[in-house]
Amino acid sequence: MDFTLSAEQLMIKDSVTRFAAEPPKGDPWSTFAELGWLALGAPEDLGGFGGPLETMILMEAFGKGLVTAPYLAQVVLAGSILRLAARTDLLEALVDGNARFAVAYEEPHARHDPSRVATIAMRQGDGYALGGSKVRVLGASSASTLIVSARLDTHDGEIGLFAVPLDAPGVEIHGLASEDGHDVAAIQLDNVRISSNGLIALAGLAIVEHALDIATAALCAEAVGIMTVLHDVTLDYLKNRTQFGVAIGSFQALQHRMAEMFTELELARSMSFVAAMTVAGEADPRERARAISGAKVQIARSGRFVGQNAIQLHGAIGMTEEYKIGHYFKRMTTLERLLGDSDYHLGRYIASQRVPRRTPVNA
Amino acid sequence: MDLAFTPEERAFRDDVRHFIAAKLPGDVRAKVQAGESLEKDDFARWHTVLYAHGWAAPNWPIPYGGPGWTAVQRHIFSEELAYGWAPRLPPFGLVMVAPIIMEFGNDAQRERYLPTILSGEEWWCQGYSEPGAGSDLAALDTRAERDGDHYIVNGTKTWITFAQYADWIFVLVRTNPQAKKQEGISFILVDMKTPGVTVRPIVTIDGGKEINEVIFENARVPIENRVGDEGAGWTYAKFLLEHERTGTAGVARCRQQLVQLKERLASDGISDDRFLDRMALVEIELDALAYTELRTLAAESAGKRPGPESSILKIKGTQIQQALTELALDAAGPYADQLAANAYFNYRKTSIYAGSNEIQKTIIAKRILKL
Repeated sequence: MDFTLSAEQLMIKDSVTRFAAEPPKGDPWSTFAELGWLALGAPEDLGGFGGPLETMILMEAFGKGLVTAPYLAQVVLAGSILRLAARTDLLEALVDGNARFAVAYEEPHARHDPSRVATIAMRQGDGYALGGSKVRVLGASSASTLIVSARLDTHDGEIGLFAVPLDAPGVEIHGLASEDGHDVAAIQLDNVRISSNGLIALAGLAIVEHALDIATAALCAEAVGIMTVLHDVTLDYLKNRTQFGVAIGSFQALQHRMAEMFTELELARSMSFVAAMTVAGEADPRERARAISGAKVQIARSGRFVGQNAIQLHGAIGMTEEYKIGHYFKRMTTLERLLGDSDYHLGRYIASQRVPRRTPVNA
Repeated sequence: MDLAFTPEERAFRDDVRHFIAAKLPGDVRAKVQAGESLEKDDFARWHTVLYAHGWAAPNWPIPYGGPGWTAVQRHIFSEELAYGWAPRLPPFGLVMVAPIIMEFGNDAQRERYLPTILSGEEWWCQGYSEPGAGSDLAALDTRAERDGDHYIVNGTKTWITFAQYADWIFVLVRTNPQAKKQEGISFILVDMKTPGVTVRPIVTIDGGKEINEVIFENARVPIENRVGDEGAGWTYAKFLLEHERTGTAGVARCRQQLVQLKERLASDGISDDRFLDRMALVEIELDALAYTELRTLAAESAGKRPGPESSILKIKGTQIQQALTELALDAAGPYADQLAANAYFNYRKTSIYAGSNEIQKTIIAKRILKL
């Protein structure tokens, strides 16, 4: 049992902390490539290194710096799908920075569930024709290719994953307003023709679920970074803001609230470690679902408490556009619901503990 | 970074598990499993078994007869006690007074008191709280006035668990009424058979008879029964409170309660989603607490003393324990299960004892957050 960072991990932490303190103007993708961050979690023969623990370090720092680059979507989520599907050619392009992938898995009425897919992939010649709607596609406007989940009209309606160039005829992208400054879009697919090489995986659902677990662990780390800032800035404010002739941090009502925020932050931090270590290890899908969904629920709950009380303890200044606390609160509010809200993950956590129905031996 | 226990630690866990399975008296296990209250004899028989094996005092160093375990081993041992439905031995002698005697007592006191604490021959209780000194413990006014080579002790101590079984009581007394309130306090050891010491039981809302009032009326206590310096008792008490707070998370016992709750749901056919949601929220928080405890443990293994962070474990641990008794009572319903009702009533104490949760929040605010 060991919660300390290795020398290499400390180096990553150091460089990402410096990056997040002063992110370069404009698109940081070439910087990401130079620093090797596009290769995190990729196989070694592609120049890859590290895994979920290193991703956790990176994402926590991105949270602290409120970095809006679509790293979670285009590297963690998309990269995990390509790695799990063993599409080395596409992964190599991702690592080199030559291609950028956005994942279109979520649908309008699916309530976060990646298995509820109405988008259709019809076999046509030796390729496919795709049609359907996707929502909350993160990092879509800066991507070159979409990874789309679609139900096949063959193979008993199995969910396949397809690489769809964003400039393919029939692809429409609608950028959405986002409250946290992140790039997000809805995608409409209308009879989009894909060659057979565009099929990334046939049994795509297990891959998407696994990749979402890896991405959720990364999201938890970002949330911990955000909560850390919300906590630290509020604590500082309690020490410096005076009313009634004393620092407001001398009032017991506020001290206890702050102690509760500290407690929630530490519980969230523990769950972020567990989430990262779970996806770094060999957990089976049920164990993984339990750990990841449990972590997401705890982090959403802690994040809401820390965020709402950070605003409350600041008073009116916390409500203003110019003060930083509100921006962290808004990102935390999105993360609470992103990649599955608490209702979804609570249900998944409970389901992961149900005794599975016995599968007949000869099936 | 690594969550796993080492192969040696896993082998140790197996040893402990087999030992408990083989040696814990069956009737005691049954009582613990059923949530019934234990008699002195139940604890004593288990203590004797542990003592014979050298495992009665996990937190003691080897020179005093302890096993010299690491923090991780102690954690594993305490978890396995819970998983094996073994009682937790009363902490007053083994966990509370013994470390103070080791740290601040003299050789004669170490020789006199430690062996019988270890063997379980003598039982101890804790005389801290008073009717007028609860959270503000330093306001205590049980007086000890010098009379030759004795102190004359007068006052009332209260909320004393197992005073009815105890041979000895360690007491915080005021030896100097003129000094600043924390500085006039001393730490003394009193034989419960001393004339002028009376035990009065206090019945709790669950019908329990664990706690008592202990009244001192001109009780004569030899000066040599004072531990450490006169006026330094408050420092020793704070040292002890930190010892008391580690291990209060009770994660493994909570896991056992959850297992029982799920068995009840299965046998009673309860599959109500609202109930399952509430139970899952508690279970998730228990997971978060368990890993937070492991982080503290890893820090302790790396050489850090248990510090104010243990306040988090106390607050969250007791909230979860209480939430579980609440769920169990909800599952049973009214007039259905007196043990479930009594457990719910009894567990209200957990957020009050060992420094109320409000006091713990103040400790976090002052000592960690520096507010």
